[in-house]
Amino acid sequence: MLSVAKTLIRAGLMTILAVPAGAGTLDTVKQRGTLQCGVSENLFGFSERTDQDQWSGFDVDFCRAVAGAIFGDRAKVTFVPLSAGDRFDALRANRVDLLSRNSTWTLEREAGLGLAFAGITYHDGQGFMVMKDLSVTSALELERARICVETGTTSQLNLADYFRTNSMTFEERAFPNAAEALAAFQSGQCNVLTRDQSALFAERLKLSRPNDAIILPDIISKEPLGPVTRADDFSWFTIVKWVNFALVNAEELGISSANADEARTSHKPDVRRFAGLEGGTGRMLGLDDNWALYAVRAAGNYAEIYERNLGVGSRLGIPRGLNQLWSMGGILYAPPIR
Amino acid sequence: MQHQRTSHHQTSVGCKALAVIAWLSLTISLADPAAAQAQAKLSQETFEIGDEPGRISTEEVIISDGPYARQMVFFRSSEAPGTVVIHTSERFLYVVQGNNRALRYGIGVGREGFQWSGLVQVSRKAEWPDWRPPPEMIARQPYLPRFMAGGPGNPMGARALYLGSTVFRIHGTNQPETIGHAISSGCFRLANGDIIDLYGRVPIGTKVVIRHGASL
Repeated sequence: MLSVAKTLIRAGLMTILAVPAGAGTLDTVKQRGTLQCGVSENLFGFSERTDQDQWSGFDVDFCRAVAGAIFGDRAKVTFVPLSAGDRFDALRANRVDLLSRNSTWTLEREAGLGLAFAGITYHDGQGFMVMKDLSVTSALELERARICVETGTTSQLNLADYFRTNSMTFEERAFPNAAEALAAFQSGQCNVLTRDQSALFAERLKLSRPNDAIILPDIISKEPLGPVTRADDFSWFTIVKWVNFALVNAEELGISSANADEARTSHKPDVRRFAGLEGGTGRMLGLDDNWALYAVRAAGNYAEIYERNLGVGSRLGIPRGLNQLWSMGGILYAPPIR
Repeated sequence: MQHQRTSHHQTSVGCKALAVIAWLSLTISLADPAAAQAQAKLSQETFEIGDEPGRISTEEVIISDGPYARQMVFFRSSEAPGTVVIHTSERFLYVVQGNNRALRYGIGVGREGFQWSGLVQVSRKAEWPDWRPPPEMIARQPYLPRFMAGGPGNPMGARALYLGSTVFRIHGTNQPETIGHAISSGCFRLANGDIIDLYGRVPIGTKVVIRHGASL
């Protein structure tokens, strides 16, 4: 009797305290018929919205891949633009199912906020933009450089650390915001500008002569960006995590949005498992066995998503760098789908 | 010198002869509707462009802008500095620099079906190589010259790096707009100014790793 009552009470508490976990995010999403995905309000290459309410970008495409895995339909996403200040509260309050919003994975955000980063989709980090006429190809050649930086940012602290660690000196020119730092770089008050590297590529496009500046390959800090879920729904977290792995595995296996249907006729065991012909991985996730192929069909594999929004096919032209497969000079490494 | 000319002649024939095979396979595939569809898809990614002997491209021509411009990039590699790594699917050639960096060049690569992978060494180097279109190619394009001395109007461009005993090489081009595309018969082409820069960095004996993406 007592134990039954306890169970009932516990069940009741669960319902009150953890409605989303009880219902399950996947079930909620399926019932609603659309994925609610939190994205940036407007961030070049990562999340952009046209006048016709069309969304595009690296983070946007990840949302589409998740929608593809669940519904087999890239259009079943509702994009929810969120400011940097609102984003985690919105996720915790169930206003979105998933955050794909240029967010850096840190311990505080997981242990402190009760969130779970489902992986790293983009390895960003602080870099340097220099005028070409400075003729440097490495950050280690920046001895005595005049460097523009935004005041009160981690970039300012990382900059000081980096030069101290490498026994080099520099002249700092600090500005209250990014726009002023860029203007100072353009006008020659400094010959180096430092920020997160992905932002530097976007800033370079704002210069009157973008080709006069280059971005050095060096990265001096860690800014791992990735999708975030609530920590109280492990099955949902697992789905989001494996969609990310699927996109990377697809690139490695040569599966793209252009040949996704041909993958079904492959004789290679790992391609067949990816395509859901063997292994039954979809059922384990609560999805269709075609989930991985659907994700790729919805958004493309990792390389397609990268090149379309940030790389060769985009205005930004950011080299793959760290965000290249482990076997091709980068550090992307996805566990196998089996 | 005479020996060099002979080996150049043979290499030239081999490399260009593949173009004829490509043309034949294209013709055959067009007869089959399914293959034709695949070919139509393919032609969006590649572009058909013939050689244009006589069109001038000087040694000053480099790719100066965008991702295909020569630039230092982050590149993790266990290969020794100096090694050349070619990623055909990316259309990039890397010269490993050590310290997780590489000098990256934009290249034109082989059409689908003419992309290959392997491990070779630079076996020979030549400045302003001559061009001798093979008989098959002349039969198809009768207007082509039988022999064309090396120079700014030569499709082989300003420099050539011969790859082992294969028929392939890394060479310049008088069509710099083809950089970033898949149009060749398996050779790798750079803008003339860029192949000259590469030529100065790559001695005979340099290890060249050619990788292309996985296939289904």
